[in-house]
Amino acid sequence: MKDLLFEYDMQLDFAPPVEEHRFTLKCIPQTDERQLIRRLDVEVYPKEFLSTDKDSFGNHSIYGYTKGKHDRFFARVRGQVRTGLVPCLPAKAEHQVGLFKYQTDYTRPGPAILKFAERFEKERTAYENSCETINIAAASENFHTAGTIASEATEPARGSKDGMTNAGDANIPANSALALAITMMHGLYENFSYVQGVTNVQTTAEEAMALGRGVCQDYSHILLSLCRMARIPCRYVVGMLIGEGLSHAWVEVCSGGHWYALDPTNNLIVDDQHIKISAGRDYHDCIVSQGVFVGHTTQTQTVAVRVREE
Amino acid sequence: MQEMDLYRHTDTVNELLARYGVKFGIYKNNEFKEQLFPFDAIPRVIEAEEFEYLEKGLKQRVTALNLFIKDVYSEKKIIRDKIVPEEFIYASSGYLAQCEGVMPPKGVYAHIAGIDLVQGKDKEWYILEDNLRVPSGASYPMIARELCRRSSPTTFQKTHIADNRNYAELLRKTMDYVNTGGHTVILTPGRYNSAYFEHSYLAEKTGAHLVTGSELLVENDHLYFIDYSGRKEPVGAVYRRISDEYLDPMNFYEGSLIGIPHLHDIFRKGNVALLNAPGNGVADDKGIYYFVPKMIKYYLGEEPILHNAPTYLPLYKEDMDYVLEHFDDLVLKDVAEAGGYGVQFGNKMTRQEKEDFIALLKREPRRFIAQEVIDFLDIDIFENGECVPRKADLRAFVLMGEEPMVWKSGLTRFSRNPDSFIVNSSQGGGFKDTWVLSR
Repeated sequence: MKDLLFEYDMQLDFAPPVEEHRFTLKCIPQTDERQLIRRLDVEVYPKEFLSTDKDSFGNHSIYGYTKGKHDRFFARVRGQVRTGLVPCLPAKAEHQVGLFKYQTDYTRPGPAILKFAERFEKERTAYENSCETINIAAASENFHTAGTIASEATEPARGSKDGMTNAGDANIPANSALALAITMMHGLYENFSYVQGVTNVQTTAEEAMALGRGVCQDYSHILLSLCRMARIPCRYVVGMLIGEGLSHAWVEVCSGGHWYALDPTNNLIVDDQHIKISAGRDYHDCIVSQGVFVGHTTQTQTVAVRVREE
Repeated sequence: MQEMDLYRHTDTVNELLARYGVKFGIYKNNEFKEQLFPFDAIPRVIEAEEFEYLEKGLKQRVTALNLFIKDVYSEKKIIRDKIVPEEFIYASSGYLAQCEGVMPPKGVYAHIAGIDLVQGKDKEWYILEDNLRVPSGASYPMIARELCRRSSPTTFQKTHIADNRNYAELLRKTMDYVNTGGHTVILTPGRYNSAYFEHSYLAEKTGAHLVTGSELLVENDHLYFIDYSGRKEPVGAVYRRISDEYLDPMNFYEGSLIGIPHLHDIFRKGNVALLNAPGNGVADDKGIYYFVPKMIKYYLGEEPILHNAPTYLPLYKEDMDYVLEHFDDLVLKDVAEAGGYGVQFGNKMTRQEKEDFIALLKREPRRFIAQEVIDFLDIDIFENGECVPRKADLRAFVLMGEEPMVWKSGLTRFSRNPDSFIVNSSQGGGFKDTWVLSR
């Protein structure tokens, strides 16, 4: 558990200026079982009206309209968060997380991922066999409780005392979705290099895998692709990591009725150094800043994230 | 022939239809072409008693389809109870995750449904497909009836035909039922849309404003219509004739220039009604079609009154075996396609085509359904002064207001090619009026 202070700054500069600007921002962390938002300040400028809502994935979104000409638009979010309250989040019943099992345009595997996935064949088969055993057992009792396989899982993984959890030493049930996901995360970490500037927001998992290099978005999409090949429900997460830099992306994997967060870029199980902002099927569901406006312009986006311990 | 007088006026009616701009636009090789929608004066006649049976079956089907859409985007009981395999839902291009948890005004999703039926030689009706997104076609029999009444009034005095000019009234009722307070508008992509005639005609007949996306705007969580003087008027219901992807660039396809930014956000808040609701495509997918009779039993606890054409899902092993064994007797449909595209007959393929198709089928079994070719009951059309039999289907319109309502008419489309089973207007077919006898 940690008390973290965060600052999220997103700025758009337009040259020449634009007008009739409509925007949607998903840059506000919210309280859940794992993190408690203790203070929150949001400033968006300029705006004529601003409204808030939750999207279909439960993410906090703010959206609005700026009518007049402007050459700058910014969102500043400041806050204080207590993180790492619990190691995992409760998941909805199995039939309600099904949509996270299916590949999207970003995660659909191609030759590179299929080839890479071969090395996990054994573990995947073991996992799939264990699923069948559980399903048959559950079905013979009452198939309505198929969502409560949770009882099969032992204690959720525990973080180490200081710093980041080493994904190897946690107490993880063998042949669980989590165990398989962690194995695949390790394999990915060893065979993929963190290099900025070689991929962009449109790069798919397959393209990144073929390239062998990329950033957190690419690591996450590839891990999602691998998990979904094994029909593990999993989602893309956008958030902030302790330190200074850009926003971060990682993955949540549904295992035994809980969502576990894995950070494939750093090869670790998320503990208390990450602040979650949003989750969805892939990058597209979690776009931090979206807008349409009138004007033939060049826009420059600047994002600065600072997270430190209180 | 009793209605000889009516047939004599075929050319006059077609000329008038052309003058009124009753056209159908199609894109072929990236070029937009407008075609007349040829009208045949011999009506399809449905007896009162038979229509009563159809009406019951259609109401039952559309009620179940509405319950299905609601369930898919909320509790998902039908997945939990393993009636519909989840991959048929989530892998469907019509399923929109953005609609998860959205409850439209009054809980209605499919307000205007176009259900396509055919009648077999055994006189049995079969459902061919459900259209729950933006089904078009009601305006054609509406205006044809109007013109026929004008050119041959005696026909309509002598015969007891249910008046079909009430479609506008039914539609208005449907729109008013879900209106959240404000004007009712019909949202068109513009005059280059294939059904633009229909959009303008329905606006005129229902008294709704015909608008394009640029005339609507979201402000303070409500939708407004900007009138010609620049005044802002609140809008409570949008009968939108643009597809889901283009509705709102902030929530669906970002590149859409014909949509309204943030429309989906305020729809989610219940501040405007969209007819039909976005996300309905999950229920009219050709793969989901197979499960509709099961839905009827599941949600309503009733036996389906109207039957599907016998359908096979190659995804299931038994069905795949059957399809391979009876390939020449079946029609194969690509579930992602509409408008008569992606429909192939097993017996019309060359040997090479067949081999290629089977390879594709094995690679992507989820992409296709196979159906028995129904022995259609041909109906007569007038061609070069004589009656010739042609294949035809019937699109029935079911409107969901407080209660489901079935329009006592429908669009009968026929194939002009004697060897073709495909009747879609985008494939160059013609249409007829559909008479439902009032006694």
